[in-house]
Amino acid sequence: MRLLVIEDDATLLQSLTAKLGESGFAVEQAADGKEGLYYALEYPVDLAIIDLGLPEISGLDIIREVRKQGKSYPILILTARDRWQDKVDGLEAGADDYVVKPFHFEEISARVNALLRRSGGWASSVLTAGPVTLDMSRQELKVNDAEIELTSFEYKIIEYLMVRAGQVISKTELTERLYDQDFERDSNVIEVFIGRLRKKMDPDNSIKPIETLRGRGYRFALERNQSG
Amino acid sequence: MSSLSARLLTSVSVLLLLFFGATIIVLDTAFRKAGEQAQEDILDGHLMAMLAAAEPTDKGTLGMPPDMPEPRFGNIGSGLYAEIRDSQDSIVWRSRSALGLEIPVGIVPEEGNHLFLDEALADGTPLRTLSLAVQWEFPDGELRPYIFKVAESLDSFNAQLAQFRRQLFGWFALVALIMLLSISVMLRRLLQPLRRIESEIGDIEEGKRASLSGEFPTELVGVARNMNLLIDSERARSDRYRYTLDNLAHSLKTPLAAMRALLNDRDNSEFAGRYNEQIDRMDEIVRYQLRKPAASTAESLVLTPVRVGAEVRRLVDGMHKVYHDKHPAIDVDVDERIRFRGDTGDFLEIAGNLLDNACKWCESRVRIRIRPLADASAVASGIVLAVADDGPGIPEEAADALLQRGTRLDESTPGHGIGLAIVKDIARSYGGTLTIQRSEFGGAEITVTIPPISEADKR
Repeated sequence: MRLLVIEDDATLLQSLTAKLGESGFAVEQAADGKEGLYYALEYPVDLAIIDLGLPEISGLDIIREVRKQGKSYPILILTARDRWQDKVDGLEAGADDYVVKPFHFEEISARVNALLRRSGGWASSVLTAGPVTLDMSRQELKVNDAEIELTSFEYKIIEYLMVRAGQVISKTELTERLYDQDFERDSNVIEVFIGRLRKKMDPDNSIKPIETLRGRGYRFALERNQSG
Repeated sequence: MSSLSARLLTSVSVLLLLFFGATIIVLDTAFRKAGEQAQEDILDGHLMAMLAAAEPTDKGTLGMPPDMPEPRFGNIGSGLYAEIRDSQDSIVWRSRSALGLEIPVGIVPEEGNHLFLDEALADGTPLRTLSLAVQWEFPDGELRPYIFKVAESLDSFNAQLAQFRRQLFGWFALVALIMLLSISVMLRRLLQPLRRIESEIGDIEEGKRASLSGEFPTELVGVARNMNLLIDSERARSDRYRYTLDNLAHSLKTPLAAMRALLNDRDNSEFAGRYNEQIDRMDEIVRYQLRKPAASTAESLVLTPVRVGAEVRRLVDGMHKVYHDKHPAIDVDVDERIRFRGDTGDFLEIAGNLLDNACKWCESRVRIRIRPLADASAVASGIVLAVADDGPGIPEEAADALLQRGTRLDESTPGHGIGLAIVKDIARSYGGTLTIQRSEFGGAEITVTIPPISEADKR
């Protein structure tokens, strides 16, 4: 998943970027409103973390502009102003949740995961589709209650596909969202990882969790459980 | 006696009453005096005519010719009477008009003197009498004393006087009424600019206008201008004050967040934990002490009343986003007409903190209810805001501690206590109160009561 962090405090920005990177996200960073707005509109983004008090263009204006341009990815506000007036303004402008400074990183990571899941239409952090269960908070994948050992990149792929269950995801999108920018982009790598995932999750080819649509991409094909 | 026009009208009425009263008394006295004088002259004339007409009779006494020059003497009960008595008070002659009546003898004047008296007939009819004592010289040269007396009933005079008085009072009352009416019309016109100032200030209080209009008479232009300056400077001052504190809080919090991030980057040692504790404390101090201060009641004039219903809807929309996963049913029961007389931020802080706590603690149900304190139609009446949830509720012994600044009931849910303490502080700055009860859904119900501004002022 590709996150955009717009925060003008350099220390905070570095720390957030590093930690989110550790948690398996590809992170784009911007230190002022102008740069931030550019990234927010022009780059592929799955979720944006936006500080409200930014130089150049305020966080609120960025959120409004992003929503005006029809971008619907979730936005998490970082705010040093914990007055309800500011929170409500931010939420009204189009943000989905807020975290008040000073925060613990766990708060951010919990909110980010919840928002990503929500944007895929999942109500809980445990996604269930047929025999497949993905626990986002523990980063665990189970098939028929048996835990599947995954590398971090394999996990990222299955999480990305499963959160967007039913949608067709192109290889380009997967590379963009799952690699950091400067990573070598090679769509063959994706094919290899998808192949490995299929082998691990479905060794006897009975449940067919990931569907290939020739020339278009991949789709997590199992019906999601309503309760999940 | 608080209104200017009432004062003026009362003063004018009293003045008119005094002036007209004095005039009436003077005119009445003059009229009565003149009437009396005229009557006395007439009586005198009649007496002179009697003296001229009296003749000694054959019986050695006085007599009057049967045809008196004044015909009223001849008509019975005409109201004009005459008689002649001798020294023993026995009647020598009496006019035909006095037939059957007894004219009182009264006081007998000294010889040669006129005497006017107010007397009455036996039936109470008031009389004005003129007596004259004379020594009549008979042809035989004998002098005998006689008393000539003419009397006139005062009935017609009194009737005239009453008529005069009626007219006098009538006209004066009419004149006074017209004067009062025209004065009050004049006053209304004169005081109209003042009324306008008053209604415009009312509009400002209700948030319908930002300042006084400039169209006032010369005498009031200065007042209006100064009033506007005052309102503007008060607005600017309170904005600046809030802005400064807000910025200070903001600029302290980002470094705090950075400090925490730096610590977490290093390790998870005990050292980091203790540092984090201190950061938490500083955060609470900043949140509580440097939060935007609540508006004072004195600022009410410059603040636009808050449309409570719309603000609550904004908050509830926000709650639905933030508590998306928990998805509590938030029941909004708010009278749309209610206006909160104060700062929008303060209202959002009260309702926001309470709603946030309720959503945090509830199982599935939250209700916010806002009712006017006194009169539903009063724009500036106080409000009663109650937020109820179906969560675990707040035990009584914990309720007190919770209202103390910064005390947390549950460390795992940060900010529960400080939110309530902030709400309580804001409520208090508006002269209000905060109470914690058990809600009908089984959880907590927090009620904030804010009195009307007029009452809050008294505290």
